Amino acid sequence: MNAPLLEIDGLRKTFDGIFALDDFSCAVGKSEIVGLIGPNGAGKTTLFNVATGFLRPEHGQIAYKGHRLLGLPPYRISRAGVARTFQNLRLIRQISVLENVLLAFPAQPGERLGNVFFRWKTSRTTEAANRRSAMSLLGEAGLSEKAGDPAEALSYGQQKLLSLVCCLAAGAELLLLDEPVAGIAPAMIEKILTMIRDLPKQGRSVVIIEHNLEAVTQVCNRVIFMDAGRKISEGTPEQVRNDPRVIEAYID
Amino acid sequence: MSQVLVNGIVASCTIALVALGFGLLYRIIRFFDFSYGIIYTLAAYTTFGLAHYLKAPLGLALVLGVAFASVLACSLELFIYRPLRGRNASASVMLLASLGVYIVLQNMISLCFGNDTKVLRSGSVNVGIGFCGARITEVQVALICATAILFIVLLALLNMTKIGKAMRAVAVDSDLAAISGVPVNGTILCTFVLASVLAGICAVLVSMDTDLTPLMGMRMFMYAAVAAIAGGIESPGGIAIGALLLGMAQHFGIWVIGSQWQDAIAFLILIGCLIIRPKRFVCRG
Amino acid sequence: MKCGIYTCIIGMEYVLHIAILVGIYLILATGLNLIAGYAGLLSIAHAAFFGIGAYTAALMALNLHSPMVVNLACAVVLAGVTGAVVGGPSLRIRDDYFVVATFAFQVIVFNVLNNWVSFTGGPMGLPGIPQPSLFGWTISSHTAFLLLVGCCCVAVLWICQRIVHSPFGRVLKAIREDEVLAQCAGKNVAAYKVLVFMIGAAMAAVAGVLYAHYISFIDPTSFTVMESIFILSIVIIGGAGSPWGPVIGAVVLVTLPELLRFVGLPSAVAANVRQILYGAALVACMMWRPQGLLGQYTFQKGGSRQ
Repeated sequence: MNAPLLEIDGLRKTFDGIFALDDFSCAVGKSEIVGLIGPNGAGKTTLFNVATGFLRPEHGQIAYKGHRLLGLPPYRISRAGVARTFQNLRLIRQISVLENVLLAFPAQPGERLGNVFFRWKTSRTTEAANRRSAMSLLGEAGLSEKAGDPAEALSYGQQKLLSLVCCLAAGAELLLLDEPVAGIAPAMIEKILTMIRDLPKQGRSVVIIEHNLEAVTQVCNRVIFMDAGRKISEGTPEQVRNDPRVIEAYID
Repeated sequence: MSQVLVNGIVASCTIALVALGFGLLYRIIRFFDFSYGIIYTLAAYTTFGLAHYLKAPLGLALVLGVAFASVLACSLELFIYRPLRGRNASASVMLLASLGVYIVLQNMISLCFGNDTKVLRSGSVNVGIGFCGARITEVQVALICATAILFIVLLALLNMTKIGKAMRAVAVDSDLAAISGVPVNGTILCTFVLASVLAGICAVLVSMDTDLTPLMGMRMFMYAAVAAIAGGIESPGGIAIGALLLGMAQHFGIWVIGSQWQDAIAFLILIGCLIIRPKRFVCRG
Repeated sequence: MKCGIYTCIIGMEYVLHIAILVGIYLILATGLNLIAGYAGLLSIAHAAFFGIGAYTAALMALNLHSPMVVNLACAVVLAGVTGAVVGGPSLRIRDDYFVVATFAFQVIVFNVLNNWVSFTGGPMGLPGIPQPSLFGWTISSHTAFLLLVGCCCVAVLWICQRIVHSPFGRVLKAIREDEVLAQCAGKNVAAYKVLVFMIGAAMAAVAGVLYAHYISFIDPTSFTVMESIFILSIVIIGGAGSPWGPVIGAVVLVTLPELLRFVGLPSAVAANVRQILYGAALVACMMWRPQGLLGQYTFQKGGSRQ
């Protein structure tokens, strides 16, 4: 049996006495797309924040490829191969689309101060190679014409697409996408979902937080339903949708 | 030793007054307003100008001085800070603007009055009353009383009046307060007035006790900021404790290592507090 | 006729003097531009690094009689270390509190320079700093010194350009706008902040060394909070986040107030008026053009509102 890529065990996180995460456990396998659904305030984004090192839980464990994630600073978790997008869309708006993608590439020699002055050739070569990769990724996403524009010039949907491209540029094996298709036009939803569907073929796994149940049903192998910090139900999209506990939680 | 205690308490009171004003202001405007320092200086110098050159009676001069400082603070709010706020300017932008205001106004004071120290005292230097082996002047006693009275008045205002509730509401969440019908801009204006009154009264009393220099405001502003940050900017009680801590620490420091290290003591306390209890930047997704 | 030539010579010396000062402030502002304009870390501590550089050079020249290059190296290293000390806590302390912390650091350094009389000479300062000598050549004339300052300016600007156009510079811009995103992109934000402070402080130290040898007398009053604010004003008014912003800022803010002399204002008044002018310019910038004359960065944070 394949060892899971990400193992979450017994997470507990409280804010002023309220359980944002309450003994939450789950696992994500290789080349899987898992949907994370639930009402607002269920703790889905909190889970992402804990998994990416921005919050410390009071209790529990997270292992990625067998290594402990808890206690690591966010940048180390990112370097280990975990990328995420944000519900309220984070991008560096003042720099160009291309530069946003370039930013995401790992292990750039030109980012080390010593190399800026003493190993120009290596930095330049890597930068050129990264540029080619970035342009090809932008090409696949249909954003190549916008490569030189500042990121703030893109439409909202294009910006969401850009943040997904950045995750790919980072070479992440595990993508945590927080509402990747919320609030955008159907054509763009389709495009993003197509890209997400392709990811397992590249050996990547994805966890998607979404309220758009149709999108979740389309792309996810497995769905987890959360409420009040707890895992209520888990299974295929159909199973979870028909689970009486889920129906009850939504009515509440 | 008891003199150190007395001096420490007097210093704590002066810092407390300004720190309370600073805390009140910061909770509502959410940036470090350096122009608060010059409001302090201006109140003192206006009072001095009126008393010294126009021979106005001291009480009237004090009232007019504090009033003028408040009017100036309101003008700054109306013409600089409110427009910036309307443009969603960041705290850094507002801070820089307030820094510019401070520089302009401080140099204007220097131009009008000169850089030398001025004296607001009437008559010769007062030796003061004896008290438990230490000496304390009448002005210092007045300062302590004023601090106590104003602290109680402030607490009453914040908790029992409509304007106080408005201030607390805006301090917690200005958008929510606006939706609930609180006149946010008016509340902010009132806060500026209140803070200016606190600073102004303190400035004049301090000037009567020691001397006036154009730089007095910046120094007092920074001490106030240290006290507020050390004690906890969110509660008046905490600020008062912070002021006490700072005043005592400084005067014990003066006693032990000399008065030239006063500033360094204050700022080491500040850096210590900021590092031990960091105001951390939290990712909320 | 003689009078005319005399006036010409005085005039020339004066122009060189102003040019040297512009150069020194250019170096200071370029360093602060990297810290505040590119990494977005507003700092009122720059005069402290300036002072550390100046005093290191002065003390070494006066007590150890070491060559200027050695003094320069030591000043740069010492300032760099101090820069790391200031930059380190910047991850733990949030933006506006961080500004206050830099203010605190600045005042503490001033206190040390002013009060540690046995070492730094206290308020009396350090007089009689020898003229600099570079590999046997003593730099005594204004022209030669201007050449020296000019070379340092070129070097500093070159370093700035290299940094700004590299991936390292790209990360700085990312940190400036959205630290959280930079972390998620795998960047060790704390390390970058420390490094940028070290570079900025090192540049300030270079300016300090030049200043100490030029004026040949230093005292703590040149390294106060007001000086830090002046350097910050140069960065902001010239334009933060652009490599040429500090250049134009230094030219404007150092030379224009000199025109006040020719208007006939007594020098004490002129000093105040000069400050009023740049204070007002700072307010005007924030109100109407936060990116300054040539800049890119408006001190607005992007990303999520905190």
